[in-house]
Amino acid sequence: MPVVTLFYYALVAFVSVILAVNLLKSRKWERDVLYVIVLLPFLLRLLRLK
Amino acid sequence: MTSRLLAQKIVIIGLGLVLLATSGASFYHSRRLKEPVVLGPGVTAVKQLADYFEPLRGTANNCNVYLLEGRERGATMLVLGGSHPEEPAGRLVAWILAENAVVQKGRLIVILSANRSASTVTRLGGAYPPDFSIVTRWGSQTFRMGDRWTNPLDQWPDPEVYFHYPSRQQLAFVDIRNVNRAWPGRPNGTLTEQTAYGFMELIKREQVDLVIDLHEAELQYPVISTIVTHQRGQDMATIVSMTLTDNEGFKIGTEFSPRTLHGLSHREIGDHSPALSLLFEAPEPFLDATRGITTREQLLTGKDEFVVKAGKHGLLFEKIDEKGWPIDVRVGRHASALLQVAETWGEDHPDKLLVITQVPRYKDVIEKGVGSYLRDPAKAAGRVIYE
Amino acid sequence: MSMFTQAGIVLATMVVVYVVVRAFRISTELAMFSAAVGGALVAGFGFPARHVAEGAATYLDINLIFVTATLFMNLLKESGGVVFVVRSILKRFHRSRALLLVLLTVLLLVPGALTGAGSVTVLVTGSLVAVVLHYMGIPKHRAAALIFLNAGLSAAAPPVSLWAMMTAAGVNMPYVGFFWPLMLPCLVAGLLTSFILGWKGEGSDVTKALEELPTPPAGMAWWRVLLPFVVFGGLVFAGRQWPFSTPIVGLPLMFAAAGLVSYLVSPVRLEFFRIARETVDQLLPLLGTLTCVGILVEIMTLTGARGLLAVTAVTLPMWVVYATLFIVLPASEAVLMWGAAPVIGVPLILLFNNRGLDPIIALAGMSLIWPLGDALPPTAIIGRLTVDVVGYKGSYGKFLRACLVPALIIVVMGTLMVVYSKKLAFLTGL
Ligand SMILES: [Zn+2]
Repeated sequence: MPVVTLFYYALVAFVSVILAVNLLKSRKWERDVLYVIVLLPFLLRLLRLK
Repeated sequence: MTSRLLAQKIVIIGLGLVLLATSGASFYHSRRLKEPVVLGPGVTAVKQLADYFEPLRGTANNCNVYLLEGRERGATMLVLGGSHPEEPAGRLVAWILAENAVVQKGRLIVILSANRSASTVTRLGGAYPPDFSIVTRWGSQTFRMGDRWTNPLDQWPDPEVYFHYPSRQQLAFVDIRNVNRAWPGRPNGTLTEQTAYGFMELIKREQVDLVIDLHEAELQYPVISTIVTHQRGQDMATIVSMTLTDNEGFKIGTEFSPRTLHGLSHREIGDHSPALSLLFEAPEPFLDATRGITTREQLLTGKDEFVVKAGKHGLLFEKIDEKGWPIDVRVGRHASALLQVAETWGEDHPDKLLVITQVPRYKDVIEKGVGSYLRDPAKAAGRVIYE
Repeated sequence: MSMFTQAGIVLATMVVVYVVVRAFRISTELAMFSAAVGGALVAGFGFPARHVAEGAATYLDINLIFVTATLFMNLLKESGGVVFVVRSILKRFHRSRALLLVLLTVLLLVPGALTGAGSVTVLVTGSLVAVVLHYMGIPKHRAAALIFLNAGLSAAAPPVSLWAMMTAAGVNMPYVGFFWPLMLPCLVAGLLTSFILGWKGEGSDVTKALEELPTPPAGMAWWRVLLPFVVFGGLVFAGRQWPFSTPIVGLPLMFAAAGLVSYLVSPVRLEFFRIARETVDQLLPLLGTLTCVGILVEIMTLTGARGLLAVTAVTLPMWVVYATLFIVLPASEAVLMWGAAPVIGVPLILLFNNRGLDPIIALAGMSLIWPLGDALPPTAIIGRLTVDVVGYKGSYGKFLRACLVPALIIVVMGTLMVVYSKKLAFLTGL
């Protein structure tokens, strides 16, 4: 895998972690749902599914 | 955090994980769906694209190369199916060739998945079905539904603008993953460019005389039901189109490849190799922007009331009625056009013939259906490989 | 049941679900998501997990751009770089209002032109320009309108105009010949907008402004502010100048690199993880909107609702199409954002092509009008973002009214470009 692509997976992993941390700390159900929806494509890419 | 908040959060995350698991499983399986190919009586060797360009080994685009060597020497034709795997007729014709064709004179080289990576992903926002099945006498055979572009899992990221090599023409950034914008390719380029480069190496090494790139197009697209040809193939394409229209009862036109439009097979293969390059377009209403419900049925029947309505308003470049554009018709058109190219070529090159038999023509495919030309992998032990 | 009836029922269901969910004061993003799910259920697809996920992934790369670009800006802000630039601009150019306006317009046009995203303009230079405008005596709702409209034009401006690119790709037309047809109108409209909204200002007092502005941290200097931009610009330039000998970096990584540089050269120590968390928190509505729009477009496509809209759009008489472009384009943008290009743009360009118009000029004209929809509900995404960045706390309607006059000029320019596209075809240089 090219180096740049590896950087991209690292970037996606980084954003996923931030999203997950914010999701765990959020206190509104609406934001929880939105975090889960936004997180979905990041995780799909990280797991190399989509 | 109160216990109620916590419970809420656990439920929401749980639902998210279920969505991740179910959708992920679907993507995982369609990327790995194996499509059987029963090697027909005419197949004399199966190579891989990496045999022509080593860096492709181990990549998603190391597709199979089916060689059908004739009993006598003659011309060599390369058929590219699956440059755009969202256009299934091209791949199905290639399947019919690999499973049925017998070459008497000359040589046929068949590709079923020219951009194999693109056949492992469906278009974002396109709502394509993950796969589709063709009914046969022995059951049915399932194929991956693909996209126009290389799977981002195999080529990521995209640039902000795509510069075509070597013309430097600027193209839309997504088209950097479109193999039919990547010709003649680049050895140290992206996977898509390397794929096109691999085919150029094959064309040179196998001394290919004719390249046929099989496509389908939306009816709102002006280049449809036609043979697009490099300028060196103009005379032949004109005769082929006239002969088909006269003898087989379907209309097919000719278009000349614009000199300023780069990256397309009908332009670059002709410019960068001695081979003549032609591209066939058949109508696929499933690709139209005005299409209605998006399902397997629409993909295969080509029936769509919305597209019919667009046609009534004069917006289409091909006619359509309630009968639609069934896959058998689309496949039949490609099959006949391809055979006619071989025949017309022979008339001009009596010393270098290309004679292909056992391949159905337009009328045969419509009468018997594509499925009757697909062989049962269960009854062909030892002669089955997978795309 | 005919396809028309079925798609009509689905579309109606989506609208009803959307309205009902909004009535419960739930966010636009979740209303769109609910509408998508409702539409799929009514169409008999159940809960189509695969399609929901596929739609959600549509704008993954754009979401990455938003996160990295905003992180970059926030790092720059926290390091004191933004304050430093504002003070310097005010000190040097405060004597000539006209010069200041031209300079600010250019400053606004650049980021969006390079990235194709108006929100990047808002995030990269918008907040900075907002402060200058404030001290030029321009009320916040007018400053927001000025920044929003220029951000929209910047997105339409070349070299990267996503609407033009996506539509061109959709009709298999090369993205060539668009430079001047996009550049000229965007520049003209941008300057007009800035002068209309920014010429009059009351109580402009630069010395007072300089007193009020916080002082940048000791050691802040031009090179510290500019170096990240140079890195970003250098990466863009290298990719364009030597496309075949440099690796493809892509916009997200370019912004990440710029962010990293601004972190490294900051004169004060920055809490990277906190800033990153706040950035994502601030961006959640934007990321959520894009993700949910992706889901909605996918389900609309699946169920035929998208086709119904498209076929209705293209079968109207030409004069109706011309006369409604100013509503149809911004409205489609407001609902679908860039999804408007594949859904509405593609059929319209095919229609225009069919009727003998010049598709490049027509598409450039349309690209001018589309971004106006970014201020309109349901998404209003860039409008909301601008208001946020400018710090305007008043009514959203007042901001929209401030946009009205320049927006009308832009709409008229765009529509005339479509109608007279054939006569303007020389601009393409083809
Ligand atoms: Zn194609």
